[in-house]
Amino acid sequence: MSQAWETVIGLETHVQLRTRSKMFCGCSTSFGAPPNTQVCPVCLGLPGALPVANGAAIGLAVRGALALGCTVHPKSIFARKNYFYPDLPKGYQISQFDQPLATQGSLSFLSPERGAVTATIVRLHLEEDAGKSIHDRFPKATAVDLNRSGVPLIEIVGGPDLRSPAEARAYLQTLKQLLEYIGISDCDMEKGSLRVDANVSIRRAGETALNTRTEVKNINAFSFVEKALGVERDRQIALVESGGSVSQQTMLYDAKESTVRPQRSKEESHDYRYFPEPDLPPLVLTPEFVAEQQSELPELPGQKRERFMAQYALSREHATVLTASRAVAEYYEHVVRAPAEPQSAANWVMTEALADAKDHQEQLRVSPAALAQIIALVKGGTLSNQAAKRVFAEVASKGGDPRTIAESLGLVLVADTNVLAAWVSDVLGAHAPEVGRYKNGETKLMAFFVGQVMRASKGKADPKLAQRVLEEKLSA
Amino acid sequence: MSDARAVADRLIKAKRLNALLTPAKDLRKSLLAQAEAARTTGVLYGMPVAVKDNICTLEFTTTCGSKILEGYQSPYEATAITKLKAAGALIAGKTNCDEFAMGSSTEHSAYGRVIHPLDKARVPGGSSGGSAALVAAGAVPAALGSDTGGSVRQPAAFCGVVGMKPTYGRVSRYGLVAFGSSLDQIGVLGRSVHDAARVLSVISGRDARDSTCEDRDPLRLPTVPESLQGFVIGLPKEYFPAELDPAVKRACDRAIRMMKELGAAVREVSLPHTPYAVPTYYVIAPAEASSNLARYDGVRYGPRFDGHQDLHALYRTTRGQGFGPEVRRRILVGTYVLSAGYYDAYYRRAQQMRALIAQDFRNAFDRGVDLLFTPTVPAPAFKAGEKLSDPIAMYMSDIFTVTANLAGLPAMSLPIGRVKGLPIGGQLIGQAFLEDEMIEAAYALERVVPATDEA
Amino acid sequence: MSVSRDEVLRIAQLAELDVDDDALPEIAEQMSRILDYVAQLSAIPTNGTVKTFVPGPDAMRFRPDEVAPSPLMFGPAQFAPAFKEGFFVVPKLGQFE
Repeated sequence: MSQAWETVIGLETHVQLRTRSKMFCGCSTSFGAPPNTQVCPVCLGLPGALPVANGAAIGLAVRGALALGCTVHPKSIFARKNYFYPDLPKGYQISQFDQPLATQGSLSFLSPERGAVTATIVRLHLEEDAGKSIHDRFPKATAVDLNRSGVPLIEIVGGPDLRSPAEARAYLQTLKQLLEYIGISDCDMEKGSLRVDANVSIRRAGETALNTRTEVKNINAFSFVEKALGVERDRQIALVESGGSVSQQTMLYDAKESTVRPQRSKEESHDYRYFPEPDLPPLVLTPEFVAEQQSELPELPGQKRERFMAQYALSREHATVLTASRAVAEYYEHVVRAPAEPQSAANWVMTEALADAKDHQEQLRVSPAALAQIIALVKGGTLSNQAAKRVFAEVASKGGDPRTIAESLGLVLVADTNVLAAWVSDVLGAHAPEVGRYKNGETKLMAFFVGQVMRASKGKADPKLAQRVLEEKLSA
Repeated sequence: MSDARAVADRLIKAKRLNALLTPAKDLRKSLLAQAEAARTTGVLYGMPVAVKDNICTLEFTTTCGSKILEGYQSPYEATAITKLKAAGALIAGKTNCDEFAMGSSTEHSAYGRVIHPLDKARVPGGSSGGSAALVAAGAVPAALGSDTGGSVRQPAAFCGVVGMKPTYGRVSRYGLVAFGSSLDQIGVLGRSVHDAARVLSVISGRDARDSTCEDRDPLRLPTVPESLQGFVIGLPKEYFPAELDPAVKRACDRAIRMMKELGAAVREVSLPHTPYAVPTYYVIAPAEASSNLARYDGVRYGPRFDGHQDLHALYRTTRGQGFGPEVRRRILVGTYVLSAGYYDAYYRRAQQMRALIAQDFRNAFDRGVDLLFTPTVPAPAFKAGEKLSDPIAMYMSDIFTVTANLAGLPAMSLPIGRVKGLPIGGQLIGQAFLEDEMIEAAYALERVVPATDEA
Repeated sequence: MSVSRDEVLRIAQLAELDVDDDALPEIAEQMSRILDYVAQLSAIPTNGTVKTFVPGPDAMRFRPDEVAPSPLMFGPAQFAPAFKEGFFVVPKLGQFE
């Protein structure tokens, strides 16, 4: 049935900016403090308190906007979004409304279904977070912690450009990587520093108009994104196919039940009564300030990928893997500069180094210099590939100099022709019939002889030299 | 120490005015402690300054004249209070006011109305009526008030004292409980121009905790001038309408004559958008108030009222019972004008009108006028109860004062005579951040005008 | 224009204010008069292009990103109407009952 339907999704992503202090006051933003200990008159909404904007938060927001290719507006306005909720101390949230910080950007990502897709970023604006309401702490009562109240956020509103739940996930993954890359947020969904709401609608394949959408909220882990959107899509399709119609409402995702349910209308405030925040003058960004933020931006993943392909002659696939995280990309370039041959370095980083990191809290445990040395030992014929992997594992877990370790483990290849000649004689003596067949022209048996020499030497023979000695003996 | 006791005695003697909300015992105790701790080198050393109850203090509760903050003890103090204390002043108790500064008579206080010091049947004006009454009664030389639409100048005029509202951004609003954030300024009521000016000078200047406070040095006090030679005083014709109270008109004419005699040039000017100032104000102020007062929800501070089995009930009973009728009325009007579909017709339109009103002033000043002179209020103090049932009649009391708030300009009222024993105020409106010129003219006028004579 | 009873109730709900049934007619009447009075603003032409005006600085100043909370002389436990185990406590919203 879903063949006939196309899903249209747009994501609204809230991202906590990486600052020491809150958006409008000097309270700490650190996570995990005892409740209501990181509060002051401003973030408690005490009578008479006033907001003063954190310049670092504004700088990080501008960096985010630039990285998404947005137009950053020289003048934007903070506005009050008015609604009542116990964790919203002032009865309004300071946000931005009709004059946001930035508009009209884009994000390119790899869709699992459509390949490279460029989604529009409609707007990016600054706002403050609310506190936390805890409903299961006390019976019949809600507990309110205002440590989060006033933490700086950006909201990134994406256009209705995503066509499946899997695509939404890929978009979010790419956005998260980008924001981590430029260092403006740690994007940790578990700590609430990345949150996403989705606008979902369906239409017949081939249609271009947008139908009535619902907003899906309460998606509080990365792994739920695809599931929650799939559930809502299926609900809409079933509804329409059974003759119903989608009404504009907010749906809450329930991860335990894997269902969505409509938010009660009473919980929804339809009328936020936005108006310009009179406690804050306009946010004016000088060209110098914006240029300074631009200069703080690292090379973006897309730019880096293109450069890796050109500079190191890597395939798009390898370049993509190596630039997916800033740490890996930097590690790779350190290995290459150590120096190491770029393609071998790419192979080693993508296989051994990433596999080891995966098992060890994402730590790249072997230093770039050590890895470059291991690669050199293989290239110089001192280590076999197999032996090099053992040396890598040993350096990763215990540290130390790769050559010393290789020697102490007895993994250095034997390149002494006298020693090799002894092993070769043994092997040829033990396999007279094969020697005969070889001499009758069955030269592919060479691989067999080399294998036997390696076996006899317990892997220590230098295979290239062994072959040379074998060839000499067999042609004698 | 005897000074602190005398200060307390004078304040307590004025008890019949219901101008002071601080209990006598608390006041005595605190004044003694403050006097002991006061900085002897401060420019206001030993000067008692009473403080309107919508400015946060650590010494006394801050209730804003409202039940919703009954007994509320602020855990921090306003920047203006910190500056006063650093200058050696004594915080001489908290003064009664219209609830959240919304009113023009100090009848809208949850703690009872304030009595006019000269006529107990009349109101002292508002909303800083308690501060004005205490200064007028001689209990303190100066008091802090707040002025959103005339709440310092109008009661100053009614009570026969000096009232100054600085330029918007001259004094930090940190710790001033917000009513209309784009209009509010802390102001000073004083028994003389000098008393008001020296307190204003101390509380003015930059504050890192208020984004709307300008990054400027504190106001520097001018010297008392010999004459008004070189001053051009503008008389906006819209402020002298035919229906102006004849006694008020006479008092103004006399003051104008005296300014001329002091060498000032006087010329008529026009501020054509003046008739729209009150409606503009009564859109912007309630709109901002409806949002500023959302925080009084019974969750974090203040009392809770009965009957809250769920969250909405908690909100509604706390706010429904905690706010008085005028505050409720303004919250409803403010919520209405900001609600979906009405924003452009009301709030946006009012902010546009505000621009036209501010432009009127700029035009007058651009044509060489230094200061404007007007009556502060169209008529002297009215009787208690007279305007309670007619909100719009009450709002019209602000007709000559709201414009300075809308345009963000400094303005002050000083006594210029009496009618049947009731004081009349004259208003000077200055250019932004040129309070010194305004104060200079006020010094000169104050010396010659027979402030307590019948006009 | 006149504000209807239902409109007053809708606005009161947005503002989370209890309005007594007895007081409703008077409130509706007063709101109508005030709104009528301020409606004269829409009568004058501002030709749509007039800018708006707010006093104060033209541009906001930025605060340095330092952990430096404004002082609190005492904590929430001492001013909160209901406070338990470090939390403000409020009755539950209907949804979670």
